[in-house]
Amino acid sequence: MSESTQLGSQLVDLCSVLLLLSCFAIVAQRRLSACVDLFALQSFFLATTAALVAFLTGHRHIYLAAALTVVIKVIVLPRILRKVIERLNVSRELVMNINIPAGLLICGGLVVVAFFITQPIIPLGYLLTRDSLALALAIILIGLFTMIARKKAVTQMVGFLVMENGVFLGTTAAAYGMPLIVELGVFFDVLVAGLIAGIYTHRLQDAFDSVDTSELTVLKE
Amino acid sequence: MTTLLTVLLGCYLLGGLLPLCTSRPHLQNSLAHSSAAAGGSAGIALGLGGLFAAQPLTISVPSNIPYLTCALRLDPLAAFFVLTISLVGLAASMYAYGYVREFTGRVSVGLLGSLLNGFLLSMTLVVLADNGFFFLIVWEVMSLLSYVLVVTEHERRGVREAGLFYLIMTHAGTAFIILTFLLFAQESGSFSFEAFRHPDQRLPEGLRSIAFFTALIGFGAKAGIVPLHVWLPYAHPAAPSHISALMSGVMIKTAIYGLIRVYFDFLEGQFPWWWGFTVLSVGAVSALLGVMYALMEHDLKSLLAFSSVENVGIILLGIGAGMIFHTYGLDELAALGLLAGLYHTINHAAFKALLFLGAGSLLFATHTRNIEQYGGLLRRMPWTGLCFLIGAVSIAALPPTSGFVSEWLIFQSLFLSVQLPTLFLKLMLPIVAAILALTGALGLACFAKAFGLSFLAQPRSPQARHAVEVPVSMRIGMGFLATSCGLLGLAPMLVVPLLDRVTAPFTGVTISGKVLALDGWVVAPVTVEFSSISTPVLAALLVGAAGLGLAIARLLRKKTPARYSKTWGCGLPLTPRMEYTATGFVQPIKQVFETIYQPTVKLEQEFLEQSKYFIRHQRFHSTIEPLIEQYLYRPVVTALLGAAERLRVIQAGSLHLYLTYIFVTLVLLLLWAG
Repeated sequence: MSESTQLGSQLVDLCSVLLLLSCFAIVAQRRLSACVDLFALQSFFLATTAALVAFLTGHRHIYLAAALTVVIKVIVLPRILRKVIERLNVSRELVMNINIPAGLLICGGLVVVAFFITQPIIPLGYLLTRDSLALALAIILIGLFTMIARKKAVTQMVGFLVMENGVFLGTTAAAYGMPLIVELGVFFDVLVAGLIAGIYTHRLQDAFDSVDTSELTVLKE
Repeated sequence: MTTLLTVLLGCYLLGGLLPLCTSRPHLQNSLAHSSAAAGGSAGIALGLGGLFAAQPLTISVPSNIPYLTCALRLDPLAAFFVLTISLVGLAASMYAYGYVREFTGRVSVGLLGSLLNGFLLSMTLVVLADNGFFFLIVWEVMSLLSYVLVVTEHERRGVREAGLFYLIMTHAGTAFIILTFLLFAQESGSFSFEAFRHPDQRLPEGLRSIAFFTALIGFGAKAGIVPLHVWLPYAHPAAPSHISALMSGVMIKTAIYGLIRVYFDFLEGQFPWWWGFTVLSVGAVSALLGVMYALMEHDLKSLLAFSSVENVGIILLGIGAGMIFHTYGLDELAALGLLAGLYHTINHAAFKALLFLGAGSLLFATHTRNIEQYGGLLRRMPWTGLCFLIGAVSIAALPPTSGFVSEWLIFQSLFLSVQLPTLFLKLMLPIVAAILALTGALGLACFAKAFGLSFLAQPRSPQARHAVEVPVSMRIGMGFLATSCGLLGLAPMLVVPLLDRVTAPFTGVTISGKVLALDGWVVAPVTVEFSSISTPVLAALLVGAAGLGLAIARLLRKKTPARYSKTWGCGLPLTPRMEYTATGFVQPIKQVFETIYQPTVKLEQEFLEQSKYFIRHQRFHSTIEPLIEQYLYRPVVTALLGAAERLRVIQAGSLHLYLTYIFVTLVLLLLWAG
């Protein structure tokens, strides 16, 4: 491996680690608006990673994916989420299913699990992004964990989007991204999911006077 | 032929789509039912053409989905069933034109008509399909469309429950059919029926037996064999009457088609004797229990539905006897049994559909299905009465009607068991014939009740008193089927050669020359010496005898003065309260078969305070125990519900809990796979 690719590989790793760190920040954050800001930051790191990979490998279409990430995940979706928060008049999440210190410990454990699982696969890879696979898996698991740990619909949405970021990082790491058409489809899906979740949160507020998804239990007959 | 097939598919498709394009009920009605009638006519032509064609017509359209090709094949067996379906389809669509007025305002006429077309199309495709995958798809479409049609009047609770019951049973049945096809596909490596017929290597004996049972259960659930019949008496009557006619008349016959296709075609008629004997026993039990419960039913449409169980049993008697003879290489007798079964199939399609249409007319005129509320309708609805009488006489197998011919042939093939080499079967087949005889007698009682108590005597309710004859289109639909019934009975020389072409490929012999002796005027079971019968001659004798009687009466009448009074009046004024009720009519039979019916009678009386001799109020309940539901289904349902109740613990309804399930499963799977 030449020196420049080694440097590039390390840069990709660095960005991926920043992504993972922002995950931890989200898990540790009680304020909803800060969660959304952190998500925007994470998406920005993701876009940087993608652009870096595009620059290093010369796959042009990844630039487009990076640009779309900036537009949709850094600008549009956080704006939608902020609007939702504003309307709902809830700024903090006080009660959680799992408290923050325990949550952070579990997330640490999840990272270990992710590395443990991907360990046999990574040496088989030959891409310069291969190390990011473990980080991507860790981000997906943490995203899912956020959805479980938090009760407010907004943070669950953030958790979902974090998972999506993880998946994106994973595809970039494992195969330099998906074919462009799939990538476009996924972005569209995420955007629509964001819109739907926004509307759904409003409905939840109207029906239960709360955005606590635990209230949905009463829907059971 | 290809043109006819295109016309058929085109008509049904147009009939399915056009009514949805307009919102005027009258136009929707005309569009839907004229397309269905056109499709039915094309189907009759196609069926006849297919029966006479030298080579089967095959059409195949490949698709992108693996294993699936939309392959159609019109061989004589398929052609016969296309003919049966189209015959009833044509009658039902003519009838429906008048009948759907009953539903105006409550149900969209366009939707109902469109679904009717879809239902007819799917049934036709089921018998034409030549690919396992394609067969299963159209089979499911047929089941689902019929479910939707059953729940037409979904605002009634009973209808919804009947629909759900039907849906569960039909899906369970389909699961078994899928298993059967998977077994075949495993050996042949393809889902095409051609590959099923000629697999690279024959299935091992054990797997063949499994395929036998899965096919019997899968198709049997649709055909309504005992004990898988429990849904049928609920679902068939719940549908609008022309749909009931299609379901009872032809949909259950697609299952008979499936059984013959699997046993004689895919398994190449190579089977041990106990397969045929199993089919025969199932048939005998279905026939007997079906008619026994039909007899106790006072809801006219439920009565007809139970009677369908009986008739499917009778059809299976013919097929089962054919299978047994086939095992022992008695090809002519095998052909006779199979032919008799198929003859009864088309007969039952015609008269059961006719009776359901008749029941629909009574419902249309009186808005009730309870026989106790009828009476005296023959005077008010003469055409419906005549058609219903023809259907009732045919189904009761009175000579010289169609039901008589086919049941007689089945009897003969059972009696011919003397030619079988094993003593056991020599003993068993006559016993089965005895059961069939009992079934026939009970069937006669059942339809004497259905016709007599509905149409004769005096009306027992205001609805019956004010009933008027149904519109012309409904009468045409019934008249068409009544004519078909008559033709099937009086002209076996036209029907037997057609059926012979269906059975010949499976048994390798043609028997129409032997069955039809004396230029076709006499029907005989393979040998005239054994026994023979001629329905045209019988009919002529009956008419002649009746004419003679009338002539004598007229001659005698000139000598004595005529006196007009009420029949059986004995000088008293007759009132409806003096009549036989449906309950009273069947009481003796209920007593005789007490063990099977397990009747409970409850009488509540409230007396006047002053004297015990004056009753202020009294109430009479009489119920019978549905044995199979009670002892076979109830424990299963209870166990299922209990298990579901216990599983409910993990269904807390919490979003977070569900996410946790996903999360834990994901991590565990990753760790396990890693």
